[in-house]
Amino acid sequence: MGRLRVLVLKEWEELFKIKMVVYGALFLPLLMGGLAGFMVWQGQSLPVEAQAALFNTALMYFLILPVMIPVTLAVYSIVGEKEQGTLEPLLATPLTDWEIFAGKALVAVIPSIGLTWGVFSLFLISAHLMLGGIPAGVLSVPWLMSIFVLSPLLAVFGVLVSMLVSSRTSDPRAAYQFSGLAVVPSLVPLIVYSVQLTAVNLFLVVLEGGILVVLNAALLYLAVKLFRREEILTRWK
Amino acid sequence: MLRTEGLTRAFGERTAVENLTLDVGEGEILGLLGPNGAGKTTTVRILSCLLAPTGGRAWVAGHAVGEEAQAIRGAVGILTESPGFYKRLSVERNLRYFAELYGVPSPREAVQRHLERLGLWDRRADAVATLSKGLRQRLALARALVHEPRVLFLDEPTSGLDPESARDVRRFISELAGERRTVLLCTHNLSEAEELCTRIAVLRTRLIALDSPEALKRRMSASRVTVQLANPQAAFATDLGLAAVRGATLEGSSLTVDVADPDRDVPVLVRRLVELGAEVRAVNRNARTLEDVYLDLMGGGNGAA
Repeated sequence: MGRLRVLVLKEWEELFKIKMVVYGALFLPLLMGGLAGFMVWQGQSLPVEAQAALFNTALMYFLILPVMIPVTLAVYSIVGEKEQGTLEPLLATPLTDWEIFAGKALVAVIPSIGLTWGVFSLFLISAHLMLGGIPAGVLSVPWLMSIFVLSPLLAVFGVLVSMLVSSRTSDPRAAYQFSGLAVVPSLVPLIVYSVQLTAVNLFLVVLEGGILVVLNAALLYLAVKLFRREEILTRWK
Repeated sequence: MLRTEGLTRAFGERTAVENLTLDVGEGEILGLLGPNGAGKTTTVRILSCLLAPTGGRAWVAGHAVGEEAQAIRGAVGILTESPGFYKRLSVERNLRYFAELYGVPSPREAVQRHLERLGLWDRRADAVATLSKGLRQRLALARALVHEPRVLFLDEPTSGLDPESARDVRRFISELAGERRTVLLCTHNLSEAEELCTRIAVLRTRLIALDSPEALKRRMSASRVTVQLANPQAAFATDLGLAAVRGATLEGSSLTVDVADPDRDVPVLVRRLVELGAEVRAVNRNARTLEDVYLDLMGGGNGAA
């Protein structure tokens, strides 16, 4: 656990020194949070049912965040090691293969979930102030499950995709582009809700959660295989 | 301190290291010489537990490679061919990161000690990106040493350095042997190997030779003599007819002769040349450098050590 902490803290310290990464990680939460807040502000005079529908749409913004935020962090965390030629010295330390993998994943997953929940909290506070309360039925079990269960699953998904892509390229731009595809699962509920005009419901949340668990398990299996020392030294580009 | 038995590593159809058997004692600096692709880096990677061997066995600091990887990584310091660092982080932060990963008990003190030793303490707050190549190499040495390993693997430590920086690094490496550390030094620089190494292993996938630099030179150079002739004739090279003579070539007035044992064979050779009518002006044993020996070994091929 000590070595894992050392790795994660160093990564964050380094990432904080790269303005592009910091701005990239902060821009989207601020944009999405701002858009969600603006939408609620615009609907101040609408009936409560209509306001609840607006919250429904706003929630989807918060499901895109956990996938998009970690892409920049995860990509740089891997590609940066390649660019700077630090992989071999790192692999020569007593870190286990699992610690290297878990450390690199946590570097991106933790800020992603933290920022999503932080911006969501700010959104709720702002909405409460603007509307004088949160519309009934918004903070329901499916809503809370979306934020507290789907978000972490989506963050893990985004990180795993980014790590797998990054291990296969030394070009950060290519890695960002391919990793951007990870956002697709978070768009599925948005599309479903938009097309069916349905509110967030437990069945859809559980269904997407189940699919993400299966996808993450498959990606984790691949990633763990890819994060073996020998694989990194001989196969990574 | 470091032992390999029939160590082999193949990548698919290609064999990078074949049947390598070495035994390196405590405080010894063993030079690994060989051309690019000879298997030097692969050997270091196997011994650092970064790659698994496909055949044979090895032990480092008493731990078996492949079975006690964590213990070996903790006991070994490695300087890779291109010493990468986190360029945006400071010199001190880079070194402290590795000290902490290696579980050094007091990382800050260890970092200060090694930075002072390598003359980098004044630059501790500078980003690594601002360091010259020579200073980065010194930092790489500090990183290899920060956890006080008993065994060091140094891959081309002076490659690309200016003469002054290279001399500093060499001086530092020679100090390490005085501290009873075992060093495996991969290098292309033959004078460096001659200066630093107690023994040299010449590698070209397989081990071609293993001996002290002096013994290697003696073994190779003692077999060649040059005879200066006043009346050179082709027959002096072709008609010697001596069992001890392994080969003779005439070039101008110089007759170069390979013999098995110069002390025993030179008088016989001179007598025979006189019988053939040669007027011998001088006989010299060829003084050869390690480079000559190395090139002979590389050209000659596959003789065992």
